[in-house]
Amino acid sequence: MPLVNNKVGDDCTSCSGEALAEGKALVDSLIKVVACYRHLAACVGGSMDSLQLRDELRQMRQKAQNLATALCHHLTGHLRDKSLPEEQRKEMELLWVAFSSSLELLHVDICKVLKISSNFSLANSASLVQTGVQGGGSEVAARALSLPDLNQTQARILPPSLETEEHSTMEREIAQIDHMIDDMEMKVNVLRWTVEPHGPQYADPLSSTDSASLALVSVVEEQPGPRLQPLCQRSHVFVLLLLFAVILVAVTLSVCVSLFS
Amino acid sequence: MQAASLNLLSKHLVGMVTPTSRPLLLLHIFIFPFQAEMILLEMQDPNTGVRSQPQRLVITTIPHAITGEDIVTWLADRLQIDVQEARSFGSMLVALGYIYPLQDHKRLVIKPDTSLYRFQTPYFWPTQQWPVEDTDYAIYLAKRNIRKKGLLELYEQEQYNRLHKWMNHKWDFIVMQAKEQYRAAKERKKPDRVVFDCQERAYWVVHRPPPGTVSAMDYGLDRRTDPNADETQTSDYYERIMIFTQQAIMRPRVKSSVSIGALVKHCATYIGHDPFLSACLPSNPWLTDDTTYWNLNMSNVETPTKMRVERWTFSFKELLSDPRGRDDFRLFLKKEFSGENLAFWEGCEDLKWGTAATMKEKAEQIYKTFLARGAPRWINIDGKTMEVTMKGLKHPHRYVLDAAQTHIYMLMKKDSYGRYLKSPVFKDTVKKAIRPEEHKFNDAQLEQNARNRRPSLSPIILRQQEQELRAKMAANAPVDITQLCRFTTPVPHFSVYSGIIDPPSSNTSPSLPFLPHTPICPSPISVALDSTSASERRLEASEGEGEQNTEARVPDRGNVSKSRVALSLRRLLKRGCSPSAMFASLSPKCHTAAATSSRIQPITPDEPSQAPPRRTGNFFQIKVDIPPECRIYPIESEDEEEENRLASEEVVGTEEIICPWESLTQQNGTG
Repeated sequence: MPLVNNKVGDDCTSCSGEALAEGKALVDSLIKVVACYRHLAACVGGSMDSLQLRDELRQMRQKAQNLATALCHHLTGHLRDKSLPEEQRKEMELLWVAFSSSLELLHVDICKVLKISSNFSLANSASLVQTGVQGGGSEVAARALSLPDLNQTQARILPPSLETEEHSTMEREIAQIDHMIDDMEMKVNVLRWTVEPHGPQYADPLSSTDSASLALVSVVEEQPGPRLQPLCQRSHVFVLLLLFAVILVAVTLSVCVSLFS
Repeated sequence: MQAASLNLLSKHLVGMVTPTSRPLLLLHIFIFPFQAEMILLEMQDPNTGVRSQPQRLVITTIPHAITGEDIVTWLADRLQIDVQEARSFGSMLVALGYIYPLQDHKRLVIKPDTSLYRFQTPYFWPTQQWPVEDTDYAIYLAKRNIRKKGLLELYEQEQYNRLHKWMNHKWDFIVMQAKEQYRAAKERKKPDRVVFDCQERAYWVVHRPPPGTVSAMDYGLDRRTDPNADETQTSDYYERIMIFTQQAIMRPRVKSSVSIGALVKHCATYIGHDPFLSACLPSNPWLTDDTTYWNLNMSNVETPTKMRVERWTFSFKELLSDPRGRDDFRLFLKKEFSGENLAFWEGCEDLKWGTAATMKEKAEQIYKTFLARGAPRWINIDGKTMEVTMKGLKHPHRYVLDAAQTHIYMLMKKDSYGRYLKSPVFKDTVKKAIRPEEHKFNDAQLEQNARNRRPSLSPIILRQQEQELRAKMAANAPVDITQLCRFTTPVPHFSVYSGIIDPPSSNTSPSLPFLPHTPICPSPISVALDSTSASERRLEASEGEGEQNTEARVPDRGNVSKSRVALSLRRLLKRGCSPSAMFASLSPKCHTAAATSSRIQPITPDEPSQAPPRRTGNFFQIKVDIPPECRIYPIESEDEEEENRLASEEVVGTEEIICPWESLTQQNGTG
């Protein structure tokens, strides 16, 4: 942090450009981790809750903490630097808003996970709510932790001390985040109403959408009661028709071939 | 909940659920969410809970779906209640968000057929600990927008725009987070993705209900303390209990026979008049959507209904609280020449309920019209009450005329009311009262009524109509003057007091007649008076003036207002305006009061003679220590005064009103 303040004037623009890029990267990864954490937090207490899930959650928390600390130092340092030019400051403030919002989301998520995991102990698997979720959240966790693959831990018997240990760790982390948020509010005075976002109002639909999954999801969307049956029937009928048409074409072709040959 | 505690609690529940326990009691226990959660956990138990089946979708199957009828039968079985109650309990679970429907996801009810439901994940359970955040909703809407490629539903679109406006500074973050969550979701397997989407959608249907649906989450205002939380038994807690008990002991108690008798009497009297308990003629608008009943009972209707008239006979309060009844009573009093009582009462009500800014001026006007010696509409109250009122008027506040008002009210109640009920006016009204016939609607007509429902008139329009009516009434109202004063112009400007006054707001009624110009009033000095009181007044006025002038000169604080006061006093005496007008032009509010009464007739920019009763001036002798922030318009010349009046006319309802009421001393000892 002190290094920033020692930078010379003419170097400033380039290094603040760098600093901005660095900040942006950090914020992006923090947002990614928070998003993935939310996905996995929604699985806690459900039928797919397992030691592995808890473990993944722990790892993601760890990563989030590291990112948050780094980002905190980075941003605080820059924003307290009075000699920062105006546009840079605006960018920094945007990053700062994103950072504080992610921290708040993360805070709420960790609190919820703590509460739920204290209520739903893994020891009694019958009490886990049958939510219909089947797979694990490993892929999501892998995405968050930027690891190609997570080694699958074997199911092991849960020692009761581990849970309490986990709880205390979580509580400590919550306190840490609280402290960080307070700290930031104290040190840096960002007026939120002056921050203007760049981005569009509507998020662009991602180009690389998986059409099959989209179709599935849209089928799920339009599921009013009486319409479900005709819809299923309709899609079944369509598939059947297609098959029939293909068979017909094949038969015709084979007939033609046999005729001409 | 730990497993052990869950078992214990379920045993407890089983113990409570004996075949003899009444279902109502059981339902009462399960209102709180904790209880619902316990039941839910039992329900989802794979061994003893509701039977679950896989849900077949086009490409895949998702397990753990339950049918509505299974839920209902399980609940009825477990809780030993009947099917109807099990259904409503199930609907409560769905409405709270513990179970969500897979088809028809916007209707949060249990359908006791094969429609499918699923348990909500604990992350999305309703809880009061973490309030539902708008940020999350914005992220959800952004994600939905991505998925549906911009085709959000109308209410979602509106919410999205609203959130974009209010959380603009976070919007980059929200969009980024939405994208990240979307991408993270894509990493999951398809069935899980579908399940998560359904869960999230169900969560937001519960917490941000689409328009036209009833939300189970409405719980009223936030309370400072959580009633479900256990309270720590500190000394503070016990102290509160002690104070409460002490106060409970000290409360005056009424014998239950008396209080119950009163309740029974009230119910017996009013039961025929309650539209919810008995038939409502012509038809109950809440049931049939037909507004005839309300139209017939509006406040300015010509012929009231028989029921309404009957209500007036119950008590005097009923008569006065009904505007039509009050009109009738006013008519009666006019015939009896005792209308001033009702007018005074209405003026007092207006004072009590009016805005604080106009209070002092209203009090002064009421005093001048009703209470002062020689007032045009003098009311008859006993000496003690008058004394109390006069003392209070030195420092007028909202309830200063309360004693007098109560006296007049009791007078009217005991005397006039009885005579009214026997009067020809009332008998006439009773004869003319209509009894509408009952109108039965068939189903088609009911539907049509429901379709034709329109909102009633906007309150703004209603208020305007009211004001117009008041002004019309004011113009035509009787002037029942009990004491005619030579200097009293029997002018209907007093008629403003016959109705309900609201000078700052009412600026209609150009029909009010031309009022005499006060400066034209003959000077009491120059005109030969043959009543001693006038000379008295003059003397006192000059005395007062002398006093005040010396006072004004002596301190000589360069206080503009004070010099203005002195100047105005001198000027007024030269002009020989009536003392009340002197007062009137001295008090800035009176100036604006002059303006206000002229506001009532904006076309005639004349200063009305503010009730020149002979003694008023004696009462309102003004001391000079008016607070410096007092803004008295300079009254150097008549023209200037007029100008200022005109100017102040534009200023309707000025806020900086300091009435020199505080500095008034009572010179009028004899009252």
